[in-house]
Amino acid sequence: MPTVVVMDVSLSMTRPVSIEGSEEYQRKHLAAHGLTMLFEHMATNYKLEFTALVVFSSLWELMVPFTRDYNTLQEALSNMDDYDKTCLESALVGVCNIVQQEWGGAIPCQVVLVTDGCLGIGRGSLRHSLATHNQRSESNRFPLPFPFPSKLYIMCMANLEELQSTDSLDCLERLIDLNNGEGQIFTIDGPLCLKNVQSMFGKLIDLAYTPFHAILKCGHLTADVQVFPRPEPFVVDEEIDPIPKVINTDLEIVGFIDIADISSPPVLSRHLVLPIALNKEGDEVGTGITDDNEDENSANQIAGKIPNFCVLLHGSLKVEGMVAIVQLGPEWHGMLYSQADSKKKSNLMMSLFEPGPEPLPWLGKMAQLGPISDAKENPYGEDDNKSPFPLQPKNKRSYAQNVTVWIKPSGLQTDVQKILRNARKLPEKTQTFYKELNRLRKAALAFGFLDLLKGVADMLERECTLLPDTAHPDAAFQLTHAAQQLKLASTWHLRVCRL
Amino acid sequence: MKIFSESHKTVFVVDHCPYMAESCRQHVEFDMLVKNRTQGIIPLAPISKSLWTCSVESSMEYCRIMYDIFPFKKLVNFIVSDSGAHVLNSWTQEDQNLQELMAALAAVGPPNPRADPECCSILHGLVAAVETLCKITEYQHEARTLLMENAERVGNRGRIICITNAKSDSHVRMLEDCVQETIHEHNKLAANSDHFSLSLMQIQKCELVLIHTYAVGEDSLVSDRPKKELSSVLTSEVHSVRAGRHLATKLNILVQQHFDLASTTITNIPMKEEQHANTSANYDVELLHHKDAHVDFLKSGDTHIGGSSREGSFKETITLKWCTPRTNNIELHYCTGAYRISPVDVNSRPSSCLTNFLLNGRSVLLEQPRKSGSKVISHMLSSHGGEIFLHVLSSSRSILEDPPSISEGCGGRVTDYRITVVPLASVIVKESLTEEDVLNCQKTIYNLVDMERKNDPLPISTVGTRGKGPKRDEQYRIMWNELETLVRAHINNSEKHQRVLECLMACRSKPPEEEERKKRGRKREDKEDKSEKAVKDYEQEKSWQDSERLKGILERGKEELAEAEIIKDSPDSPEPPNKKPLVDMDETPPVEKSKGPVSLLSLWSNRINTANSRKHQEFAGRLNSVNNRAELYQHLKEENGMETAENGKASRQ
Repeated sequence: MPTVVVMDVSLSMTRPVSIEGSEEYQRKHLAAHGLTMLFEHMATNYKLEFTALVVFSSLWELMVPFTRDYNTLQEALSNMDDYDKTCLESALVGVCNIVQQEWGGAIPCQVVLVTDGCLGIGRGSLRHSLATHNQRSESNRFPLPFPFPSKLYIMCMANLEELQSTDSLDCLERLIDLNNGEGQIFTIDGPLCLKNVQSMFGKLIDLAYTPFHAILKCGHLTADVQVFPRPEPFVVDEEIDPIPKVINTDLEIVGFIDIADISSPPVLSRHLVLPIALNKEGDEVGTGITDDNEDENSANQIAGKIPNFCVLLHGSLKVEGMVAIVQLGPEWHGMLYSQADSKKKSNLMMSLFEPGPEPLPWLGKMAQLGPISDAKENPYGEDDNKSPFPLQPKNKRSYAQNVTVWIKPSGLQTDVQKILRNARKLPEKTQTFYKELNRLRKAALAFGFLDLLKGVADMLERECTLLPDTAHPDAAFQLTHAAQQLKLASTWHLRVCRL
Repeated sequence: MKIFSESHKTVFVVDHCPYMAESCRQHVEFDMLVKNRTQGIIPLAPISKSLWTCSVESSMEYCRIMYDIFPFKKLVNFIVSDSGAHVLNSWTQEDQNLQELMAALAAVGPPNPRADPECCSILHGLVAAVETLCKITEYQHEARTLLMENAERVGNRGRIICITNAKSDSHVRMLEDCVQETIHEHNKLAANSDHFSLSLMQIQKCELVLIHTYAVGEDSLVSDRPKKELSSVLTSEVHSVRAGRHLATKLNILVQQHFDLASTTITNIPMKEEQHANTSANYDVELLHHKDAHVDFLKSGDTHIGGSSREGSFKETITLKWCTPRTNNIELHYCTGAYRISPVDVNSRPSSCLTNFLLNGRSVLLEQPRKSGSKVISHMLSSHGGEIFLHVLSSSRSILEDPPSISEGCGGRVTDYRITVVPLASVIVKESLTEEDVLNCQKTIYNLVDMERKNDPLPISTVGTRGKGPKRDEQYRIMWNELETLVRAHINNSEKHQRVLECLMACRSKPPEEEERKKRGRKREDKEDKSEKAVKDYEQEKSWQDSERLKGILERGKEELAEAEIIKDSPDSPEPPNKKPLVDMDETPPVEKSKGPVSLLSLWSNRINTANSRKHQEFAGRLNSVNNRAELYQHLKEENGMETAENGKASRQ
């Protein structure tokens, strides 16, 4: 989940904060302090997260495009100038722009808005935006809800009392509501000081940036892993099952299946599964990923030399062309597989299927899958030359069963001509002639299209008169018989009705 | 996302009164004369469908599309109305298919134009529709049972699509009132019967879609009206539509609205011409599917941000370009959604060509036409067991790009994830062992001792090994350590487990002569190491990525190993032991259903064992050899010539 930090650099952010016995701070310094803490956390614990930095006043500017280089982000924080008034709407439009250009509309993003709760004045102020919210056309739609899955976190450089003294808090709450409730407002508890800002950002980190740790299990083999990005809770049906489902921290492998059998399944999200080394207290030592830091480097080198189940699993899946099915929760599965980057790197990846007993129709119910050795006969054949998948559906779809559709005249004409073509090749084509004829008869009866039956009967009678002298006597016989039967069918209902 | 929305239950109420037997006054030519045979023959007069036929075929088309795209959980109940209501099917899943409906319709037949119009009314059908909406479906029942005390969360909503020929706007209002009234009554009934019957539910929401249809050329006596709320439960909309293709078009639009469908046109499909087999022309095929398959377009389509909107507003169909598939290589695409499709024009030649192509197991990637000329693959059409799905492939930048390679992480520096082949491993993990199990484990251990004595290579997978692996005696040392760890981990299970360990420990304390023997064997071993190394080096040069090629190489590697095996057994080898395959298959119990989970190790081992045993058949001559010398053409000494031919065949294998 990429992050966009949207930093208010309007003049009001330069308001001083009185801190006893120390140099004078401005709100923007508090903001920068909090963001520094966030960036430092990400650099150590969430280093694969892409983050962009946007600053705004009445205009907005992309200071740092999406990057994993937290030094650059940190530097940008110290190079911010002060500008004029707050104009939140245009900044949010800017965020839409930036995210869509980079990630499209399907990747969830987190927007961290840092402001002092002064929402601007006049046109472009948040109050003005909200007041005109109902009078908008498609072309100047309000940017919320964001046109991508999102969370909007509003970090206020103000405490609750201050925000409540005006209508600022209400306005900000409206913003979250407009984003379909996706997000949260954070305010400073108590006086404005570095410590309280830290605790506010600490809450954000706990909520949105704690790494997801799990244990990957396969029989007796286990590995501690970090799953990145964090798997988000999922709601299956808001009405009958409104509680979001959360994935297990014990990820148990329940089976293996060929890539050809699983066949590019649709997934909710995909995640890197990174083995981590834990020390005895259970704290993370590192992901083993090489770093500039020397201490870490040696620790990583040691970690690299300890066999890890993830590496074994990855190698096996890659070579065998298989995926591992993993249990994520009750009636919830995912798959583990080897994913090759464009370069010569490859990785263990996990994709989540939609929760439910049968996430992939072509595999059937997950509960009914089992080891090959459970089957009486090897379903893959002795020479591995067949497969029990995909499962065939009970009923064929319309395109697989030669349905009759006469909505366009061409559909009807094609069907009539097929009969005619075969009629002219009687008696050789008797079988196909009757097959086509019966198909037409069946459909005509269902649609109550009796005139067609009469028409085709007339046509067959005419064909009979046109038969050359050399024609086989059976041809005339079949045509007459067919015409009679069609006529009978076309009047059958009338006779029944009259009774 | 709601499972039990209005589209869970659709009731069709089609008017079967005498006036529906009237012609729609739209002619269909059906006697299209074939060339060369037209002289002097006057084609038969065109025919026209009745209002009934038009209504039925349009509603069948609605159902066809719905069943194709939602084969489950979207249900139709079909009612025809004349002097009474005829309910043609039920909510059960078995009743939900075109064949059932068509058969039921054939039994009903067209309306009788001579019936008494005074006795006939659409009202019977509408009342029956409300009744049927109160009936619980098997899905609702299942959900209620599952939710237990939260059963009230299961909604009961539905839609009534009524096709009739109304007399006036006030007639329409009368129909609406009737539905309104009936819902009110039935809801009361259902509320009271809640404790007695589990099969009825109150209607929470009902959407009435009234379609007034009339012959082409007539004036409509009924005016269109958009959706209006008549009560908290009932909404109603009125469509006044000419019969014939207009009605079909209307129902096609409605099915798209009701089930959130969208349309994609596949363009540039190359198709062989019937007449000129060598040429191919390009065709377009329009498909319907759930609109989520367009989620990326929808989001960027309605971008309010100036300038970036490429396509303008969301068009009625989105065009995607066919990319001629290369070979059938199996790839795991990153797919964010898969949606069933239904061709708009199911019987047209281009449609059936496309669907047959896909049903035969081919997949087609689809490309977004972009002005910039860059190629973006955004979708894939693929069939899974007779069902065609439109897969949405991720085409935007990945948030997981440039990830750390697995080789840089924990355990990434370990090159030797060997897997030793021991049937013991699958047995020892059991909670209790039989005498036979113990015997099997002991056999395995003796077998390993034997292998070590003969200095046979351990059947190690070269996969994942980089550089030169450890020497053979080192391999055996590691193997024994691993085995000991494994067995020790289970000795607390039973006394029999303990016995396996004792056997193992006894075997590990090897006699000193073993070392001596090793040294003698060294020379031979070096030779093999070289050949193994060659295989490994070869692998290293190859890219990790092309797994297909990698597989091929591995196959070859295995073959080479097998060859090395044979070469080793040259006449000057010291005292040839009876040659056995890598693993003694006789002593490996077949993969039996063991109580515990089948371990990765034993799965792998069994696979390798079977693969290897299939690789070669021992040369009959060597099996029967004396001092490794086999006498060739023994049979020539005998008289029969037939046997020569047979033997020749056999030895070629």
